[in-house]
Amino acid sequence: MIAGPIGDNVSRLATERPRAVYFAVLVVTLVTGALMAGIRIDTDPENMLPVDQPDRVFHNQVEDRFALHDTIVLGLVNDRHPNGIYNVDSLGALHRLGRAILEIDGVIAPDLMSLAEVDNLSQVGPGTIRFEWMMKEAPVTERQALDIRDKVSRLPLLMDTLVSGDGKAAGIYVPIESKDLSYPISQRIHELTAELGHGDDVYHITGLPVAEDTFGHDMFVQMGISAPLAGLMIFVLMLYFFRSAVLVVAPMLVAMATVVITMGLLIGMGFTVHIMSSMIPIFLMPIAVVDSVHIMSEFADHYEDGKEPKAVIRQVLGHLFTPMLFTSLTSAVGFLSLLLTPIPPVQIFGAFVAFGILLAFVLTIFLIPAYIVRMRPASLAKLVSRHKTPHTDTPLARTLRRVGAWSLAHGKLITGVAVAVIAVSAAGIYHIQVNDNPVRWFKASHPIRVADRVLNEHFAGTYDAFLVLSRDPGETVGRFRETAKELLDAAGTAANEDAIAAGTAAADGMITSLRERVEAEADDVGAYFGELIGAVDDALFDTGDPDVADLLERLMALAEEAQVESKYFQRPDVLQRVAELQQVLAESGYVGKTNALPDVVKVVNRELRGGEAADYQIPATVPAVAQTLLQYQSSHRPGDLWHMVTPDFTATAVWLQLKSGDNQDMNRVMRGLDDYLEANPLPADVELRWAGKTFINVIWQDAMVKGMLTSLLGAFLAVFVMMALLFRSLRVGLLAMIPLSVTILTVYGIVGWIGKDYDMPIAVLSALTLGLSVDFAIHFIERTRALLATHVSFDVAMPKVFEEPARAIARNAIVIAIGFTPLFFAPLVPYITVGAFMAAIMALSGATTLILLPAIMAWAGPWLFPKLDRQGVFADSGAEPEAA
Amino acid sequence: MMRKEIEMRILFTLAGLLAVNAVSAEPLSDADEIVERANLAAYYGGADGRSEVRMIITDGQGRQQRRQFTVLRRDVADAADQQFLVVFSQPSDVRGTVFLVHKHVDRDDDRWLYLPGLDLVKRISAGDKRTSFVGAHYFYEDVSGRRPSDDTHELQETTDDFYVLGHTPKDPGSVEFTHYRTWIDRETFLPMKIEYTNAAGDVYRRVEVSKVDVFDGHPTVTVSRVSDLLTGGRTDMQFRYIKYDVGLPEDVFTERALRNPPREWLQRPTD
Repeated sequence: MIAGPIGDNVSRLATERPRAVYFAVLVVTLVTGALMAGIRIDTDPENMLPVDQPDRVFHNQVEDRFALHDTIVLGLVNDRHPNGIYNVDSLGALHRLGRAILEIDGVIAPDLMSLAEVDNLSQVGPGTIRFEWMMKEAPVTERQALDIRDKVSRLPLLMDTLVSGDGKAAGIYVPIESKDLSYPISQRIHELTAELGHGDDVYHITGLPVAEDTFGHDMFVQMGISAPLAGLMIFVLMLYFFRSAVLVVAPMLVAMATVVITMGLLIGMGFTVHIMSSMIPIFLMPIAVVDSVHIMSEFADHYEDGKEPKAVIRQVLGHLFTPMLFTSLTSAVGFLSLLLTPIPPVQIFGAFVAFGILLAFVLTIFLIPAYIVRMRPASLAKLVSRHKTPHTDTPLARTLRRVGAWSLAHGKLITGVAVAVIAVSAAGIYHIQVNDNPVRWFKASHPIRVADRVLNEHFAGTYDAFLVLSRDPGETVGRFRETAKELLDAAGTAANEDAIAAGTAAADGMITSLRERVEAEADDVGAYFGELIGAVDDALFDTGDPDVADLLERLMALAEEAQVESKYFQRPDVLQRVAELQQVLAESGYVGKTNALPDVVKVVNRELRGGEAADYQIPATVPAVAQTLLQYQSSHRPGDLWHMVTPDFTATAVWLQLKSGDNQDMNRVMRGLDDYLEANPLPADVELRWAGKTFINVIWQDAMVKGMLTSLLGAFLAVFVMMALLFRSLRVGLLAMIPLSVTILTVYGIVGWIGKDYDMPIAVLSALTLGLSVDFAIHFIERTRALLATHVSFDVAMPKVFEEPARAIARNAIVIAIGFTPLFFAPLVPYITVGAFMAAIMALSGATTLILLPAIMAWAGPWLFPKLDRQGVFADSGAEPEAA
Repeated sequence: MMRKEIEMRILFTLAGLLAVNAVSAEPLSDADEIVERANLAAYYGGADGRSEVRMIITDGQGRQQRRQFTVLRRDVADAADQQFLVVFSQPSDVRGTVFLVHKHVDRDDDRWLYLPGLDLVKRISAGDKRTSFVGAHYFYEDVSGRRPSDDTHELQETTDDFYVLGHTPKDPGSVEFTHYRTWIDRETFLPMKIEYTNAAGDVYRRVEVSKVDVFDGHPTVTVSRVSDLLTGGRTDMQFRYIKYDVGLPEDVFTERALRNPPREWLQRPTD
């Protein structure tokens, strides 16, 4: 291997010039560490998708077109008063709160929604209607409070959105200019509610921006507490294994330098710290010390008093270099495979963990030797004496010996059990539920989860999705242009002829400018027809020529007709169709409520016609709908209409309120609609698309599952090729893949059987498993092969594998598993999940390596190692192995 | 920049007007008198009048809607009751929609609405007049004029060109502003700029006149804009085919006329 000479050079440099190594590492660490000051936290779930991902692009366009903002939801719940929130105190509080919130900087005041800020349309006598604020002043008598209840009950757009159907909760929807402001704004709202004093009212604050903001805060807590805690845990564990604080400081330095440099580079390169990348320190910390553990174990074994430490360390490094390089490379490949997942935060996580692993390898082979040669001889002596005596007779050592003997004796049985476990796990995988919901990243007791639960009990739903229907007016405009140009040609000719007859110069400037208008861009089709019609109207006034006037009249009629046609979502039949879609969505069982243009038209129509329930319907003609909407616009909040339809009426958005943000529920809603549309297709020129945060979650989770499968397969293949190269044998390469395969299958089998949702952290674990499980296999097989080659028989060699090599593997498994346990104390669920599964993965892959691999070798040895078989190593393989 | 341009235009217009009107020597100092004269100048030109309005409503994203309508006005007496008839001609789907307002100085206005698409005449209850006028950034109140007696007035400054007044509502609960300021042209007494301040202390709404022309001896606003400074939306209004003292009869302004708008009075004047 070429690795040998490199290892020699490294250890020579490190041992000859330890100060230079220290200095270089220190400088790099300080420089990159300084970069961490520029940290930017990113908690926006949208960023799970690349910026140019089509669904994300569309989602953002929809937010712009329909003026939808990130919204903080303040819920006021009164369970005690017999009339719920419809009492003087609660409505008074709601009124004062709403007014005070309007004045907070960063609140988009015109779009704030609460009972005090919306309009009511009502009957005040025969043939008379009234437009007024629903609650301009807070009520002063209980009668007035109940009047408001009666008014609200007539307005379906408000019911279950601004006030709950049970009358016990009212909401204030606070749109904010930027997510960055959500923290100060929600803090101010907290202060305002505190100032009010509570009485019978209970306040809840939620909404995605608040959740994201809190998440960002908790992420810092996680990094600030869990990562140092993990470091401490690892330090204590290593102290237990090596019993020398002086020595254990070395791998801790490696781990810290690795974390600081990696995070410094990540931040310095301009990447944001996302939930995934916030886990990098805690992933790197245990992984970074693993190589050091190997070097120090070996060093302690080979060093004796009087020996030159430099020579010993060079020797140790010489023969550990290759396996360490390979384990680092394979772990790195496992994480690099995450680059195949089309989710940027996961890609960045994979790339930087991979980088960190390789960095840890480099730091280890430089720093550890440099550190050891600078240790005082007395410390070294103490270390060696402490290391050698106890370790061959610890409970761990004894257990491993017994495990080895047992595994070798029951080779076929163990293999059979493993096959059964695989089969059961495969069935479990079939049951895996892919599901995620960023709100569930908080613990069930978190105020945000509580608010989420309470508000969704009362209201139609706090999770948003939008069904967007649009019709391209291009064809309408195109047809209009052709006919219009013919008319203008005729008008031009007529004007010319008349001018010639009258002996005046042809005044065709008007025709030319009209033609320009006809041919103008029609991106804003509303403005296009508006301007054109205005120009034709002016021309009609200016022209004195009856022939030209006649042609212009025809052009006007044509333009008006095309204008009406382009306002597709003002057509009664189309609105009827939208209402049908709303009905289908409501019947899915997963949608609390939908709000859309047909609801507005129906309410206004009813009130205009006298307020009878029978008139709650879409009027029959286009002018009737247009005039209904003209009345709706004559309110205090004309802009509300544009949350539902674009001003040119070429696109409309149905707002879905869902009680659950689980993407499975969103998927059911979408599938239900698809089934309906299959039987009742929309016209070919109408496009239907989804938008909204809940939908975006579905998209990135879908991408994640598919991406993870690609990642896993890619990494599996890459690692297999590396194994086959390392061991120069396809068969042994396959053997090396067994522990990780069994571990991955079992872990995901468990996920499937216990019904844990397959979410982002669970998905990422596959890469981790792959990268770390293979380490154990490499060390185990490499050492086994070496021992087999130097011993005459399998039965004699194998028990030796269960001495130092098995101990190193077990120790590493324990260090990593325990190193992740501080995650149990993390405030956020994904971290806890990772901690729990890490422990399980380490236990599983450690166990499969130490039990299943020898078990398979016991019966398949000759097939796996044909060369050794020819040398007669397996001659007595049927005999009882030499037991301890 | 914008403001500069407007000022230039105003100055230019003023220069033209100077030729017509004699320069008043001494500036006025009584706020109520200035408001009274401004009210007359802006809403009571002649005994009656007609005008066609083209309204371009632009939202914060630059998207446009248009409305076109004719306004007929008849004064019962100067600074007293008035009648307005507003008849829509564009867009075609709201054509024929009519608003009728009987403005009273001593009681609530009477308002009616006719919607031809629904074949419906509705009386609109005297509620809040500060709602949007058909989706524009103008309010109903801006169409017929806010009663001077609804506010207290204070002359804050007299510049070379303007009387700058501050106005405070007598019933703050009935309006969305806490106060507003007007810049009233010293020559024409037309309010050239109005700025409304909200509870947060921000100027959130601005009305600006950018063009004034003289019709039948009356300086008349022909181009103006209302800006919603919170959303970035605005409404531009062009007033054309203006004529005063056309002799509009009273029966044009009755509930009966809603279904049959007076065609002869709606036609554009040709002279």
